[in-house]
Amino acid sequence: MTAPEAQVDTELRPRVVEAMTEVIARLSERDGPVTEDMDMADELGLSSSLGLELLLEVEERLGVQIDVENMRTDELRTVGQLATFIASHCRPW
Amino acid sequence: MIPIVTALDAVSVYTPAVRVPIESLAEPLGLTDMQVRLFRRFHGLGEISLDPERSLADLLRAAIDGIGALRGREHLVRYVVYGRAMPVVVPYPDNPLHEVCREAGLGHALAFTVTHQSCASGLLALETAGRLLEADPDPDALALVLTGEKAFTRDARLLPGTSIFGEGASAGLVSAHGPRDRMLSFACAQRGEFDTEFGESAERFQREYRPSLAGVIREAVDEAGLALDDIALVLPHNVNVVTWQRLCLLMDFPVERVLLSNVPVNGHLFCSDAFANYTTARERGLLREGDRYLVAAVGAGAGATFSAMVFQH
Repeated sequence: MTAPEAQVDTELRPRVVEAMTEVIARLSERDGPVTEDMDMADELGLSSSLGLELLLEVEERLGVQIDVENMRTDELRTVGQLATFIASHCRPW
Repeated sequence: MIPIVTALDAVSVYTPAVRVPIESLAEPLGLTDMQVRLFRRFHGLGEISLDPERSLADLLRAAIDGIGALRGREHLVRYVVYGRAMPVVVPYPDNPLHEVCREAGLGHALAFTVTHQSCASGLLALETAGRLLEADPDPDALALVLTGEKAFTRDARLLPGTSIFGEGASAGLVSAHGPRDRMLSFACAQRGEFDTEFGESAERFQREYRPSLAGVIREAVDEAGLALDDIALVLPHNVNVVTWQRLCLLMDFPVERVLLSNVPVNGHLFCSDAFANYTTARERGLLREGDRYLVAAVGAGAGATFSAMVFQH
């Protein structure tokens, strides 16, 4: 489980999704749209090192620090799952 | 009959005083600004010990000089086992190991190097020293385990997307009957399928890295007759912070019990991380008498080796 008790910041989440889809499109060199249901590894080809680059760019764009210490990467397969995690596990810089 | 165990009687670690921030390594290592920021933010790297003026022999010499428990007992040292990640480090026929052994009054000892488990070779050297002492008829015989490495080529200084190596060396005095820091178990998994010439992709190695390391950790804990909760402290290999954060989640082990404070100040010291972290744990009073602790290492390169040892302090 990914800390189900954590509160999702519903105002922040759409901004996370927007930042993520832009960054993922560039990192994966993808022309088509990136949607929330897409599997980041299998469909979008994001390696673990590109995954960290994605997190850093999201942090810098939104001015937040993501709680990576509690991130269970094997349970965060899709864009939407990671966006929900970020919107519930980050704090302002 | 005195029970035979492998005991780590004393440890000395040397890291050069010259420290450079990782940002200054961007140009020589060909790192982008993003790669440097990732190293600092997620991998927890900060600065690296490097001293171009000091040779490999200088590093080893400094580590041996620091081991006070060796003074006056040189004649008891039967074996010097040097664990090193790099197979070739000086032009043949130079051999800094024999050079420093002669200088330290250890010219009589059987001295050799093990390198075939890359950065896990330090633990291999320790275990080998223990087995040699176990087979030695003299109960007072000692072994000296050395580690130490120069980071002098790009390949030797950088694990892309993973870690940056620093320079350092260590010396550990091992006995078969010593009271301190007794080895309770050793688990080691050699994975030839990750050989870069013949094996599977780097992505598969990345995927299996943490489960494989978790596997040998559980095996070592089990072999020691313990549960993971019994482990007071983990002395990690200093590959980076994020790997250990994720490994701890995978194993349900509190990351607070993993000594990661040397990652930002040393980077990855090849085979010396275990000994550097042990020294830090002692200095900070993190190990109490009777505590069981675990040392972990991964060697990657020509294949991969995952190793873990449990000790009692």
